[in-house]
Amino acid sequence: MKRIDNRYALAVVYLLLTCYAVFSVVPFFWTTIQSFKTPRQANSRVPLFIFEPTLDNYTDLWLKSIPDDPMLVAIALVAIFGLLVLLAINAKRFPLPAGFVYIAVLAIGFAVLWFIPEYVRTQTFYDYFLNTIIVTAGTICISISIGCMAGYGLARYAGLAGVIILVVALGFRSLPGMSYILPYWWFGQRSGLYDTHILLIITLVAINQPFTIWMLRSFFMNIPKEIEESAMVDGANRLTAFISVIIPIMWPGIISTALFTLLLAYSDFLLVRILTQSNWTLTVAISKYAAGEDPGHITLAAAAAVSAAVPIIIVVFIFQGQLVKGLTSGAVKG
Amino acid sequence: MNRRTFYTFMTPSLLVMLALMVFPLVTSIWLSMQYMTFRNINEPVFVGLANYVEVFEDIKFWNAFSFTMTYIAIAVPLQTFSGFLIAVLLDQVSRRIRGLYIAAFLMPFIVVPVVGTLMVKQLFESGGLVAWIYREIIGSRFILTEQSVKSLIIIHALWAATPFPLIVFFAGLQTLPDELVEASMIDGATRLRQVRHIMIPHLRSLFVFIGLISIMDAYRVFDSIFVLTEQNPIYKAEVMMLYTFRTAMSVQRLGKANAMSVITVVLILVVLVPFLLRTYKEQIEER
Repeated sequence: MKRIDNRYALAVVYLLLTCYAVFSVVPFFWTTIQSFKTPRQANSRVPLFIFEPTLDNYTDLWLKSIPDDPMLVAIALVAIFGLLVLLAINAKRFPLPAGFVYIAVLAIGFAVLWFIPEYVRTQTFYDYFLNTIIVTAGTICISISIGCMAGYGLARYAGLAGVIILVVALGFRSLPGMSYILPYWWFGQRSGLYDTHILLIITLVAINQPFTIWMLRSFFMNIPKEIEESAMVDGANRLTAFISVIIPIMWPGIISTALFTLLLAYSDFLLVRILTQSNWTLTVAISKYAAGEDPGHITLAAAAAVSAAVPIIIVVFIFQGQLVKGLTSGAVKG
Repeated sequence: MNRRTFYTFMTPSLLVMLALMVFPLVTSIWLSMQYMTFRNINEPVFVGLANYVEVFEDIKFWNAFSFTMTYIAIAVPLQTFSGFLIAVLLDQVSRRIRGLYIAAFLMPFIVVPVVGTLMVKQLFESGGLVAWIYREIIGSRFILTEQSVKSLIIIHALWAATPFPLIVFFAGLQTLPDELVEASMIDGATRLRQVRHIMIPHLRSLFVFIGLISIMDAYRVFDSIFVLTEQNPIYKAEVMMLYTFRTAMSVQRLGKANAMSVITVVLILVVLVPFLLRTYKEQIEER
């Protein structure tokens, strides 16, 4: 498309875009700054931009007491996770299939996180962090496994039933979460599953299932039918053809969908707020910092907000290509 | 693929959706006809439509309803219009610099809603950046009142929900054929007329799509309003979802809360049904 060539008009365009970019980013910028201040500095009459940063808010948030040799613990953790990242990057060089290496890396990483409280006295905020990982990982695994089968079926079946299932699922997805969550609460109370990870995982899987099948279906539709047909001519039945031929070439689509499932499960607030009493995830835990009377709550809230945002920003940064692909495929927000 | 194989592949997913989406909705209707608090979860008392009558006579419900409608009426056009405007402007910028802008614009979209709200709220806290600017310009402190909380909610809605229409419109503009624009240039059309007569008609279906999705999203908004008004119900800035939540969890009137959620579902169907019919037609044509 032909662009504006008038220099003044172009300057206005840049100015407007930059203003909007600043508007988008300023809360992140300001919250990060506040999280490194003491409550006194954060409440000063004129905002401070130059000050001596402190890590107190983060240590108060995550730790009950600072370990005797904090440097040693920090170095050990950096070394372990650095090694794991190196392993993951070089996964293809191992004699094993790369998938096994990734799973092993994730398992070891989680085990390390799980055993940290044995050595360092952590706050409950750390427990909420672990809860978040368990719930999110569980939701992704179950949601993607059953969603892949359904998405594949929907992409290949030409009957009317497929279209009806898709449209009805979209309708259910568009209803407010509240209409499902109040009955879930009642089921949870009656079955004794209230406040457990299992209840959170199965309900999150269900709520996100329509979105998952829509998105995976759109990726499966891009795979030519001939691929599995040639495998089936060679004697494989449809299920083996699906597992051994289709799934391996579907990885980009699966990762893209998993990324959105992760974002949805990680950010879910209402469901976790209603279905848990103490086994909170980070989202619910940080909402507790939204209001408070003592002057320290502002900096603590800032540190909590930054702590919850950083994992998501890291994940999005690693998988940014898949995110854009998913967004532009139009399946998002179904 | 034959019908049998199709259902074999669909079974796990269908079972989950039937058990945890269809069945709960039916349960919700049943629960809405019970008198139930936290004390009698196991022995609810059947009261017929009494909960619905109570909801319709509840002034707080109507307050929440009217604020929800105001919120939709202000936030949705604002988000759609600013998303469209920024998308058109972004389209004029060279390809290399676009990536940077898009990264900045997407930040509010990617971050967890509760976290994003908390971050916006930080600007308005007593030591916050915007609170300071406000004091410098207006001369008085920024305090939370019903009006200012409501404006805060709208500002947050603009911040958090504009990126979605923006990206969709931007993707739509990329499919606009160049010849169309060039032909209009030769005919001497001004920029504004190009937007009016080429871009908007080209994006018409996207406007409908964005409009419907944004209305439904605005209708069920909860997280941000919960954080912005937490522990301060005096602000009277409750939306329907928040009032339903409080009725269920604070007042412990589960039957009444379910009645409200059933009413919400019925109201949302008004917007949803045309959207679903449209999708159905599209899918049938694509098949």
